[in-house]
Amino acid sequence: MAGSSAQSINLKLKVWQQRGPKDKGQFLEYDAKNVSTEMSFLEMLDVMNEDLVKQGKEPIEFDHDCREGICGMCSLVINGSAHGKDQAITTCQLHMRRFKDGETVTIEPFRAKAFPVIKDLVVDRSAFDRIIQTGGFVSVSTGAAQDANNLPVGKEKSDRAFEAATCIGCGACVAACPNASASLFVSAKIAHLALLPQGEVEREQRAYGMVHKMDEEGFGSCTNIGACSASCPKEISLENIAIMNREFLRGSLTHRK
Amino acid sequence: MNSNSYFCSTIGRKQLVGLTGLALCGFVLMHALTNMLILVSPDAYNKYSHALVTNPLIYFAEAILVLLFLGHIVIAIGLTVSSKGARPEKYHAGASGVKAGSVVAKNMWKQGIIIAIFLVYHLITFKFGTYYKTTIDGVEMRDLHRLVVEMFQLPLYSGFYVFVMVVLFFHLSHGLSSSIQTFGFHHPKHTPKIEKLGLAFAALVAVCFVSQPLYCFFIYKG
Amino acid sequence: MSNQKLDSKVPSGDIADKWEKHKFDMKLVNPANKRKFEIIVVGTGLAGASAAASLAELGYKVKSFCIQDSARRAHSIAAQGGINAAKNYPSDGDSVYRLFYDTVKGGDFRAREANVYRLAQVSNNIIDQCVAQGVPFARDYGGMLTNRSFGGAQVSRTFYARGQTGQQLLIGAYSAMMKEVGKGTIQLFDRREMLDLVLVDGVARGITVRNLVSGEIESHSAHAVVLATGGYGNTYFLSTNAKNSNATAAWRCHKKGAYFANPCFTQIHPTCIPVSGDYQSKLTLMSESLRNDGRVWVPKDKGVKEWNIPEEQRDYYLERIYPSFGNLVPRDVASRQAKFRVDEGRGVGTSGVAVYLDFKDAVQRMGQEAVSEKYGNLFQMYEKITGEDPYKQPMRIYPAVHYTMGGLWVDYNLQSTIPGLHVLGEANFSDHGANRLGASALMQGLADGYFVIPYTIGHFLASHKHPEVTTDHEAFKASANEVRQKSEQLLGIKGKKSPDEFHRNLGKVMWEYVGMSRSAEGLKKAQIEISNLREEFWANVNVIGDPKNKNSELEKAGRVADFLELGELMARDALEREESCGGHFREEHQTAENEAKRNDEDFAHAAAWEYSGQDLKMNWNRHREELNFEYVKLATRSYK
Repeated sequence: MAGSSAQSINLKLKVWQQRGPKDKGQFLEYDAKNVSTEMSFLEMLDVMNEDLVKQGKEPIEFDHDCREGICGMCSLVINGSAHGKDQAITTCQLHMRRFKDGETVTIEPFRAKAFPVIKDLVVDRSAFDRIIQTGGFVSVSTGAAQDANNLPVGKEKSDRAFEAATCIGCGACVAACPNASASLFVSAKIAHLALLPQGEVEREQRAYGMVHKMDEEGFGSCTNIGACSASCPKEISLENIAIMNREFLRGSLTHRK
Repeated sequence: MNSNSYFCSTIGRKQLVGLTGLALCGFVLMHALTNMLILVSPDAYNKYSHALVTNPLIYFAEAILVLLFLGHIVIAIGLTVSSKGARPEKYHAGASGVKAGSVVAKNMWKQGIIIAIFLVYHLITFKFGTYYKTTIDGVEMRDLHRLVVEMFQLPLYSGFYVFVMVVLFFHLSHGLSSSIQTFGFHHPKHTPKIEKLGLAFAALVAVCFVSQPLYCFFIYKG
Repeated sequence: MSNQKLDSKVPSGDIADKWEKHKFDMKLVNPANKRKFEIIVVGTGLAGASAAASLAELGYKVKSFCIQDSARRAHSIAAQGGINAAKNYPSDGDSVYRLFYDTVKGGDFRAREANVYRLAQVSNNIIDQCVAQGVPFARDYGGMLTNRSFGGAQVSRTFYARGQTGQQLLIGAYSAMMKEVGKGTIQLFDRREMLDLVLVDGVARGITVRNLVSGEIESHSAHAVVLATGGYGNTYFLSTNAKNSNATAAWRCHKKGAYFANPCFTQIHPTCIPVSGDYQSKLTLMSESLRNDGRVWVPKDKGVKEWNIPEEQRDYYLERIYPSFGNLVPRDVASRQAKFRVDEGRGVGTSGVAVYLDFKDAVQRMGQEAVSEKYGNLFQMYEKITGEDPYKQPMRIYPAVHYTMGGLWVDYNLQSTIPGLHVLGEANFSDHGANRLGASALMQGLADGYFVIPYTIGHFLASHKHPEVTTDHEAFKASANEVRQKSEQLLGIKGKKSPDEFHRNLGKVMWEYVGMSRSAEGLKKAQIEISNLREEFWANVNVIGDPKNKNSELEKAGRVADFLELGELMARDALEREESCGGHFREEHQTAENEAKRNDEDFAHAAAWEYSGQDLKMNWNRHREELNFEYVKLATRSYK
């Protein structure tokens, strides 16, 4: 149990290093000594970086912010799995007690054409924002809303909408998908709003616009492999992709342009 | 074509792959079941195939079948190529465990290639293969049964055939339930049932097909 | 010292009518003219995102900046428990007036009444707005919204979305913003850090930012600047804030002339996961909502390490000391009591710096499934971090820095002492006094952004002349040069210690002397130590890497440099405030029962600090905004 059994382990790290988007990149090999099992994975990288700085070397850049699994900023593919091999977790929540002494740990950026590497482990995920811009919203201007309880929403539907809406936009689904498909991310938003009466008005245009934008951004297609949902820190269900598929079909059939 | 059209979108194309796939499932099931006539008698087998090829609708049916196969293959290749392009730089370490996703689903395209190669070979072997003649009930017709038995008594051919049928099993086992998901149906209670149904369907088709070479090789002494 | 700059501009009239009257009195910008005005909004948390979206909807040209890679990631996203509103859906006696009353009292009478009243008034509109955006708040089986209780209130007025309310609200505001970005009315600048405010003729006309990807220093001009950059909790290094949360934007505005109010008012949240080692980079909050069902206790005897001890050996100290509010006393009270228990030697866990939050009774009463429905994600989060299962054994919790009530001084219109510079959300000081009640931060951020600034900024724009200013103006060039020089200076020191090392040291000083309990002696010491640390920083910091590339060391160094200044001001403000109130507890000022003792005679005011230092020599003038309590009578806060 933590708090009582902190141990130290030694690890061999292979960390992706890439100066910029056009650089070829290679692995930096680093021996992480005396890593406390109480540390989080990112704290282990913090310690590595501080050591690199001490040696006069440039630290490895990686994205992180809230460090409590909700902002979606942290990424990393650890030993081939997005956010590491455990399920329902982000990299920042991963703790070193999940690693074995002497293990080699390979750390790579999220890789996808639509997520170009900025530097080292940092990638550009702005494609997600652009997809949301094409329909991931309800067009209600500030002040135009009616009383919140005027439209009842069944608890079951509301809960499902909530579960879809818990997506943190980290991009692990894209990173994990062998096709680099963004279907889980896009579908979570489409489903969230399709399940609520508030999203009803724009549902056709929403699915139509977002799916075409997703394609345009260069993500791959969904072949129902399921790696996305298994890698999702919030365990977003594949059901959402089915909802997206039918919303898109509906949107395509009714689109008038 | 308008780049915003349904047919250009990944989901639209996926749904077409699913639709053609489902239709092909129907064909494959028919094909597998009627082939079981081989277990009945050579005459039954030949009479059925004669009836099939002399039906005036056969050209129409064949044309549709060709379209379905071509559509299924061409669209799937297009999707696969663009998906491969969506990750130009591969991971150096491979995922393991549940986060790696379904192995069958990941390799649908490989299975598809094997099946497509088989398909061509299959047509060359049987449809355009040696034309033996036989007469049943005074009607002269092709003795397809003889050709089939000859082929299936070749160990190498039978082995290859069985291998492809196993591949087909995997392809169908994912394909059927996957297409239902692609059309937009997913339900926590029903989806697992559909998946089982897909598995059962694939098993039925595969068992039917595989039973023929096994029968010819081990049992039939005609 | 009184100062005419500190005119709160609170409208006259009855408190219930002030905002309505003010809305009518304010000047308007006609729709066609709105297109001609550019507004910079810095930060995309609840306040920033809601402001950017609402201003763009009105027709203004908005430029929005954030340091993250996407506007959706600001730290509002981590708020767990909920958002208050005076809807009174449960019919349990709530009203706008009660929310107002609770907030003023909860803030220990150090907030501006008129602002708080307005906040309570618009709280209901916020819920309506969010629901319309598709925010999936918790509902009952009839499809109606449900509420829960939070500290400092005896009604259920907190709307929530499991333990992810902040996330859901932020995604709502973010999506409203994305809608406008899609239309082209908001121009989005992500991965940008604001490093300076640009003044032209004393008016805020733009900002200087560093592009965190290319390293380029960019200038952006506008007719008004809205700052929504959050609080300064990370001065303590360890806090529940995100790693990138920082005070730099607000601090640079302060050094350009914006007064900083009540910097010593920091909130230490009682329920956080305790520190486990020196490498620790941040602390994780466990939502206050857990205190609805969790019971706080320590062993009655000192030095007991077992958690599985009989009931009679447990001291449920909050229930014992505060029978009427029990475990739901406000945060400052709960935190202080935890500290007292630990100081007595009754702390738990290996470090002895923690108390228990126990769900044994809740699991027994409601069943594990119901507990999981309410708090599942929090329990999961706890388990991931500690490796312990809170369904089986009590959580170990300890207070941690969470929120800062102080911030840039603003008037009723949310304008700082610099004309044109408006400050929203946690970055300003106005609504929470000396202690913020749970679920009020989300309310304030969204109130400011959705329902206040859209009105008041129009008034500012309509009542001032705006000479044409572009980024070619001298002021922009001077600002960019200054920023560049500072970067070069940091990179040029090439010392021995990393920015993080300085930050960690500063954090230790702050936590020790400017933390939960403060004394004159400690605060004096803190000022000296911080000042020494600052000197050492500028002589011995090691900032490595390329200024023309992504460089997080350089980013950190700039932020730490500012924390090293702000920390000193926090200590000084704490020293000069000779009273205990809310989160500010001075050992010299307490009752016999260790409760905070306010000094309304001398300190019923907001202290607004004007920067008057130069280079490394910090100096400030202290000004006061008198706070008048006409509606909520000054009284000793009691939760017994």
